[in-house]
Amino acid sequence: MRFRYAMVCSSNQNRSMEAHALLKRQGLDVASYGTGSHVKLPGPSLREPNVYDFGTPYKQMFDELRRKDPELYKRNGILQMLKRNLSVKLAPQRWQDNAGDGVFDVVVTFEEKVFDSVLEDLNNREQSLMKTILVMNLEVKDNHEEAAIGGRLALELCQEIEGNESWEDTIDDIVAGFEKQHRRKLVYSISFY
Amino acid sequence: MAAPAAATARAHALSLLAAANNHGDLAVKLSSLRQVKEILLSLEPSLSAEIFPYLAELHLSREILVRNSLIEIIEEVGLRMLDHSYVLVNVLLVLSRDEDPIVAKKSISAGTTFFCSILEEMTMQFHHRGKVDRWCGELWTWMVKFKDAVFAAASEPGYVGVKVLALKFMETFILLFTPDASDPEKISSEGGRQMFNISWLAGGHSILNPATLMSEANMTFGILVDFIQSANCSSGALTISVISCLAVVARKRPVHYNTVLSVLLDFHPNLETVKGCHAASVQYSIRTALLGFLRCTFSPIIESRDKLLRALRAMNATDVADQVLRQVDKLVRNNERAAREHWSGKNNKVINHQNSWDFSKKRIMPQGEDDTINGEVAPKRLRHNTNMHLTQQVQTNDSLQGPVSINGISSGNHPSDTELTPVEQMVSMIGALLAEGDRGAASLEILISKLHPDMLADIVIASMKHLPSTPPILKISLATPADIVVSSSINIMHSPTPPAQLPLEQTLPTGSSLSDMPSLNSAAADPRRDPRRDPRRMDPRRLNSSVGPTSLPVGEGRESVPAQMDISTLPSKPLSVPAVMAGATGSVHSTAVEHSQKVTGSSVFRIIDQPDCREDLTVPKEYVYPSKGKSSLDVPLSPRRDDEGIRETNFSGSETKCDLDLVSVPDFDQHSPSASFPDFDQHLPAASDINAPEESYQELAPVPSYVELTTEQSKTVGKLAIERIIESNRHVFGFNCKKICMALIARLIAEIDAGNDVATILREHISVDHREFKGHELVLHVLYHLHSMAILDTAESSPYATVYEKFLIAVARSFLDALPASDKSFSRLFGEAPHLPDSAIKLLDELCSTRHNPIGREICDSERVTQGLGAVWSLILVRPNERKACLAIALNCSVHSEEDIRAKAIRLVTNKLYHLTYIEEHVEQFATDMLLTAVNSETDLSQTGSIAEGIKTEAKSQITSTSDSLWSGNSEIHSPQDLQSSRDVSVLSISEAQRLISLFFALCKKKPSLLRLVFEVYGRAPKTVTQAFHRHIPILIRELGSSYVELLQIISDPPKGSEILLTFVLQILTQDLAPSTDLIATVKHLYETKLKDVSILIPLLSSLTKDEVLPIFPPLLNLPPDKFQLALAHILQGSAHTGPALTPAEVLIAIHDIVPEKDGPPLKKITDACSACFEQRTVFTQQVLAKALGQMVDRTPLPLLFMRTVIQAIDAFPTLVDFVMEILSKLVSKQVWRLPKLWPGFLKCVSQTQPHSFPVLLELPMPQLESIMKKFPDLRPSLTAYANQPTIRASLPNSALSVLGLDNGKDSRSQMHPSDAASSIHGAALT
Repeated sequence: MRFRYAMVCSSNQNRSMEAHALLKRQGLDVASYGTGSHVKLPGPSLREPNVYDFGTPYKQMFDELRRKDPELYKRNGILQMLKRNLSVKLAPQRWQDNAGDGVFDVVVTFEEKVFDSVLEDLNNREQSLMKTILVMNLEVKDNHEEAAIGGRLALELCQEIEGNESWEDTIDDIVAGFEKQHRRKLVYSISFY
Repeated sequence: MAAPAAATARAHALSLLAAANNHGDLAVKLSSLRQVKEILLSLEPSLSAEIFPYLAELHLSREILVRNSLIEIIEEVGLRMLDHSYVLVNVLLVLSRDEDPIVAKKSISAGTTFFCSILEEMTMQFHHRGKVDRWCGELWTWMVKFKDAVFAAASEPGYVGVKVLALKFMETFILLFTPDASDPEKISSEGGRQMFNISWLAGGHSILNPATLMSEANMTFGILVDFIQSANCSSGALTISVISCLAVVARKRPVHYNTVLSVLLDFHPNLETVKGCHAASVQYSIRTALLGFLRCTFSPIIESRDKLLRALRAMNATDVADQVLRQVDKLVRNNERAAREHWSGKNNKVINHQNSWDFSKKRIMPQGEDDTINGEVAPKRLRHNTNMHLTQQVQTNDSLQGPVSINGISSGNHPSDTELTPVEQMVSMIGALLAEGDRGAASLEILISKLHPDMLADIVIASMKHLPSTPPILKISLATPADIVVSSSINIMHSPTPPAQLPLEQTLPTGSSLSDMPSLNSAAADPRRDPRRDPRRMDPRRLNSSVGPTSLPVGEGRESVPAQMDISTLPSKPLSVPAVMAGATGSVHSTAVEHSQKVTGSSVFRIIDQPDCREDLTVPKEYVYPSKGKSSLDVPLSPRRDDEGIRETNFSGSETKCDLDLVSVPDFDQHSPSASFPDFDQHLPAASDINAPEESYQELAPVPSYVELTTEQSKTVGKLAIERIIESNRHVFGFNCKKICMALIARLIAEIDAGNDVATILREHISVDHREFKGHELVLHVLYHLHSMAILDTAESSPYATVYEKFLIAVARSFLDALPASDKSFSRLFGEAPHLPDSAIKLLDELCSTRHNPIGREICDSERVTQGLGAVWSLILVRPNERKACLAIALNCSVHSEEDIRAKAIRLVTNKLYHLTYIEEHVEQFATDMLLTAVNSETDLSQTGSIAEGIKTEAKSQITSTSDSLWSGNSEIHSPQDLQSSRDVSVLSISEAQRLISLFFALCKKKPSLLRLVFEVYGRAPKTVTQAFHRHIPILIRELGSSYVELLQIISDPPKGSEILLTFVLQILTQDLAPSTDLIATVKHLYETKLKDVSILIPLLSSLTKDEVLPIFPPLLNLPPDKFQLALAHILQGSAHTGPALTPAEVLIAIHDIVPEKDGPPLKKITDACSACFEQRTVFTQQVLAKALGQMVDRTPLPLLFMRTVIQAIDAFPTLVDFVMEILSKLVSKQVWRLPKLWPGFLKCVSQTQPHSFPVLLELPMPQLESIMKKFPDLRPSLTAYANQPTIRASLPNSALSVLGLDNGKDSRSQMHPSDAASSIHGAALT
């Protein structure tokens, strides 16, 4: 069964893009989003993050940061990440602003806050299509290493779901099995379009 | 042509279907299906329908994908041709139980879409045509089956995926059939297809029974709850879905919130025991649901916040919960800000839709609680009940938003409804604020306190328009006995009303009939005017809080009694409802009054401020909208409240009226709790109080809501309402309140078109209040409102314009009647009114120029004139548009026949108006014209008519030069006066002349150069006019004082014919004061150059020096005697500073110096002048004469008249004889006998003065003496006797003696005589 997946994190830069890149490479129908109000990238210090609007092309961020301090952003991996991102899609997208992107079957979020946001957003939409959507949250720390791991886990999870005709019947088992296997907590919810 | 093509297409489709059915290759099947779909979509529905049975066969296909595609086709094609989709729907029903979950899910999904579409279609059909097509009804039966099948799928074992969708379908079902006060805002923001809601069925439906459906929805809700409670769901996905669905229901239908909340909080599944259920996710879904609640701001949720927070804390979600709360607060603040921006007209329509629909829920929840409190009945059912009432109207409105417009016609009538007016924006904003609960309430309070009262009133009035005509229910505790009577009568008539509806609602008499849809629709053409969003909704509670007793007019109270009779007969005659309704006016009056009064109360928005539950509870019960009064005044069909239209409808015959009433009766019914109770009765036997609705609402006195009022009645109601507002206003202090009241009154007046009556009502209030300017404000408020209405009204003759005019005039008249003339209110009113109609100008004109019956009102009138003129003045100053009209009034008054009016007007015109540059010319022109009218009056009597004509046209020309509207009335004002003046012209009396010229002379004071005209016309002016001139001139000249520079110019170049006037002027100028040198110079110059008439110099003579007077003395002397006398007087009088120009002696000499031979005066004039001098004996005394004669006698030659004067002198003053003798003696020495012109005089004098002249005679030479003797033989004896005296004789020469014949002794006798003679002379002198 071909499902449509959405990877969602806060800024649509690291975790969701890692998973997006991965799933895409595996041939899954995938999109990625962020739920924050802005795209935030680490800056020279904690208090000076680089803030962009959603929709700002990765390329632009890449150029800008490389111009600002290539050394720093290379060292903290931002430039590499942006380079990867711009090969995946044009710009970070905000989940709440892209309801028009169509119907997803499965949404994987990487942070509880994001999970809540997605659910709330879905709740606020008009639910008239009678179409279920599976939203799962996989807690992944927002760093490159964890993102890489999280991406792989998300891929695995999605592939597992993909293998089922109707995930509703098996989701409990899938989740339980996943938790057991990876010793990671996983929460899912069901919403509707 | 089309038919063969269609046949080909059909054949093709059939072959494709066969392929889809039988082909071995799945891909071929699917592509065939796709092609079939294309064909079906391209064909006529009826043709496509022929293919449907073949298509339907495919559901038997073993291929999942084929079945799947089939469903897709069905969904796409079937929905487009719903009326032919009978077969297809059947397929869906079958496939919903398909063994394959995907097919089943798809089928359920498609079926749900069909379900909603068919539901909508049925509703629309019924709304439009009052019936439902058969196919539709059949489809619905299939849909009911479908529903049953899906419900069964939800509870029966099966695929979780299918069950999840079945649950979702149940949720949809609950939402569809649970009344919702869903917000149009939300719908529009969602932008998508709008779901049907049970409230669409408000008017009743031939097939759909709302009550049944609602109870079914309730049962479904129960099922969902049971799912959770029984932990029936082995699957975590299922549990989560149920929780999710319940959460949605709770959020969208707040009636269920409390139940859902308690269920969720109580949900502690022993999840570990359930195999295959992911406990954490289930737990998390509850958490999500609770968080979702927390985000809502409608009041029951707000109230349960603590509970929510506790629960969330228990789930370790404190942080998140706090965060959510912060977000919500922020949202609220943002909304407030947005609201403010809204209000300030920034067109920021972004209102958080979440809040918007939360708002609606907020208000619904309390009702549910209310019901549980009030009734012992199953709370659920009652909730439905009340909710339905609340929302059905709304839903009707909402339906307009849907793709299918029920309201095609009526909405077309109001194209402007698509744009939000500020008022509508405000209404929606208040709604949004209300949705925010306590916080919103606080900000709402601020907002309202900041709101412009006009806006506030507009909001109230605007929202009234769309109110359902709900029955206002008076609380008996508030009601006066009259009320009770009325309401009890209403109770009787209340019950018969449902039968009246029967023709309309056959099977579903649930409180609303579709027939009222048009009215609702039109009223709801603008979703923003959704009544739900009205603050007014809350208003009924004010009935409780405010304690205004209903003083119902007794007569009206009685009026309702006969109504009862009608009512009793009603059931058998449903169509007699209108009569009943009309009869019930009395009761409505009371409520209307009550409401209106309440509206104005300060508590209008207090309700909003206290959104606490208890307060809200009363709302559904009472349904007493303050607007009730309003809606009863208007036919609720018109959302625009186009009064004109309404009135027309009202009067267009009883038939129309019946219809209207039929429409409106259910209208109120649907909102009447008691009316709808019986309906529930049929379906819900559990209700215990249903059988006795009257009892259950014991303390309520239901009143029929909709009553058709005649115009007369509505006026009365409106009047009463206004009275109430004013009355209550008196007790309520506070600026804002008053402002609100004003705005409300303004609107009420606009509605009821009763300027006079209302003015009467207002009069007292206004005059009492006027000192604080509140009354004035009120009036202005009303006026401005009316005016704006009139302007907005595109019709040429707006009814509002009439109302406006009436009101203005009525108020103005009331001011005049009630207030003292010194009061400024009148002028202020006219000055600040937005527009002055003709009648206002007319009134002003009457005030200024019309004298009423002089008996007793004289003084008052005079003051009124002052008042009127004062108003005119201020209007001229502040109202450029009315300037000319007012000026005309003032000018006409300034030639008024009444002297004091005229004087006042002239004062106004000259002192105030003439300074204004923009009317100066006009004033001058008018004054000039009037002057000329007077002047020309007698010169050409035969042309009197044409003169009058001229005046008229002149007046007209003034008229036409101003705005037409003003003058159309004004010309009428003028013409009588013009005629008057024209009549007078022919027999111009001096007073009439005065009337016409007064203004001009008054103006001359301000502008002396105008006097030239007077000089110019003086010559041809009739006598009366010149007399009038002469009356004015002295005053004028005195007023002018020294500033007669212009006058000098006129004097220096006087127009022809003005000599008399000029002289007159000069006289006046010199009368009191010495003329200035300028004046003297001017006049002298004039005399020397142009005007040879010396008489002009007369007034100046006293100021002239001797050298100046002497040259002009001869011409002066040449003047007529009276003038000369005058001149003489002036000359002799002289000025205080210089003394007289000539002494009297000098005058005499001057007279004598005149030589008559030259081109001077004739001798006669000179002698006359002399005589004149001698007449003034006090001036020309003896000494004067002596002096003059003494000087003259030394002259050479002697003045011609010298001897004459001497003789006169001696005649006048005999004591001068000695002096005269000296003169004579001098003359003798001067050889007077050589002067032939003097010699006779000398002789005469000598002769007259004998015997004193004897010595002089004897001094004469002998020849002269001898000739004298010969000439006067009488002299000889006495002279001889004198000479014969010894002393004299001795001194006489012999020659003399010989002449006298005294050579001999004869002399002795004669010598005896001299003493005698002397004595006789002396004696003569003494006598």
